Amino acid sequence: MRTVGIEAMNVFAGTARVDVEKLAVHRNLDMTRFANLLMREKTVALPYEDPITFGVNAAKPLIDALTPEEKDRIEVVITCTESAFDFGKSMSTYFHNLLGLNRNCRLFELKNACYSGIAGLQTAINFVLSGVSPGAKVLLIATDISRFMVEEGGEGLTEDWSFFEPSSGAGAVAALISEQPHVFRVDVGASGYYGYEVMDTCRPAPDKEAGDADLSLLSYLDCCEKAFLEYQKRVEGADLHATFGYLAMHTPFGGMVKGAHRNIMRKVAKARPNEIEADFERRVQPSLHYGQRVGNIMGASTLMAIASAIDHGDFTIAQRIGCFSYGSGCCSEFFSGVAGEEGQARLRALRIKDQLDRRHELTMAEYDELLVTNNTVKFGTRNVVMDGDFIAPARTAQGSPTLFLKEIKEFHREYEWVS
Amino acid sequence: MTQQEILALIARHAGEVIPRLEQHAFQSTDSLRALGANSIDRSEIVMMTLEVLELDIPLAETIKAENIGELAALLAGKLALARA
Repeated sequence: MRTVGIEAMNVFAGTARVDVEKLAVHRNLDMTRFANLLMREKTVALPYEDPITFGVNAAKPLIDALTPEEKDRIEVVITCTESAFDFGKSMSTYFHNLLGLNRNCRLFELKNACYSGIAGLQTAINFVLSGVSPGAKVLLIATDISRFMVEEGGEGLTEDWSFFEPSSGAGAVAALISEQPHVFRVDVGASGYYGYEVMDTCRPAPDKEAGDADLSLLSYLDCCEKAFLEYQKRVEGADLHATFGYLAMHTPFGGMVKGAHRNIMRKVAKARPNEIEADFERRVQPSLHYGQRVGNIMGASTLMAIASAIDHGDFTIAQRIGCFSYGSGCCSEFFSGVAGEEGQARLRALRIKDQLDRRHELTMAEYDELLVTNNTVKFGTRNVVMDGDFIAPARTAQGSPTLFLKEIKEFHREYEWVS
Repeated sequence: MTQQEILALIARHAGEVIPRLEQHAFQSTDSLRALGANSIDRSEIVMMTLEVLELDIPLAETIKAENIGELAALLAGKLALARA
């Protein structure tokens, strides 16, 4: 069996953030309930940031680290997203151009709500495993943004929907998938998938998010159990307790992962409450650090949880990570892979934490102004020139060249590097 | 287990998950949400109840219940089906 997995990966979560506790106070949210979200900060997409800027800024360091020969072996670019700005043209075409990739390359985009990143990962893995182009690499970019504009008055709206605002984030994870899985070697065939039709959360209209947060939580919990049971069926001797050093799960907000972990540990592993709490701290918390600071980045969320687990866990001895992805609608998957000291060192060299630290912290006034300003780049915008003076400190906050949207000309998006 | 007993079970679990509800005199028309249980609390109360009932149904199927009386009725129906 060939080895396959993540050769390199990086997270880019924008140039601006808000402190979600300040936001909760600002919105008069119930603070006891807010604490259960286990959220600290979230990335806010600025008007001149879009899924392309997040994706390119995440992928650029990975591409720059390749030799020209290696770069030419990128034969597929898969964009995983629910935030595309065009129904036909794939965002992979922009990534391909902005990153200067070889034209003998497949370019396409993939959607299945928050499951898209893992659907893309598995598609990439299968391309590599097929052996049709030995040595080829896939560039996977999972990128999503949420512009906080909730569809009002929908019957399915619940009061918990108000907690969507503090947890909805923006960002991207870029990964190179190849036969050299330096960062995360996927356990080939070790996958339990589970999906069915359910109307939980969705984006039924451009720039609108809607749904039933309660139903989504219950569906997530159901899928987590069913997908793991299917994994267990396919992987002889798999044990929730003993097989995985860490668990990395799709993170709408930390509290939901905590609930899912508690549920599955009680139901499948028959663990006691105090044991579950300790297990959460030891095996799950490392995967949550980035999610707690970025918010839910949908299709990229599970990949970011894997990156967080590798960056924050102890990999002196290689560890197997059990991963769970859930996308509303719905489809889910429990799968696994192994990371070691080398992978951790490679990932840490990209300094994801520093990137998060450097984001400009928005004041509540700036944030509120942004919710209005966001309207200038609505879905379907034909022509617009972005205002580079708007929240200007964010544009140089990274201290390194950062890609931003410059203008939209006859629907075509044009970008600029700012340093 | 009767519907009434299931209702008592739900009330007991609600008290365990949200300690301030331990002394609450539960009525079948009580909504867990109105009593301050968030979505994670509610899912936990349902899970604990399903566990005692040894009932294996998707949690998503319990979403329709608007109050604990409806939840007890729904679970009693599922239980009767499972035992049939």
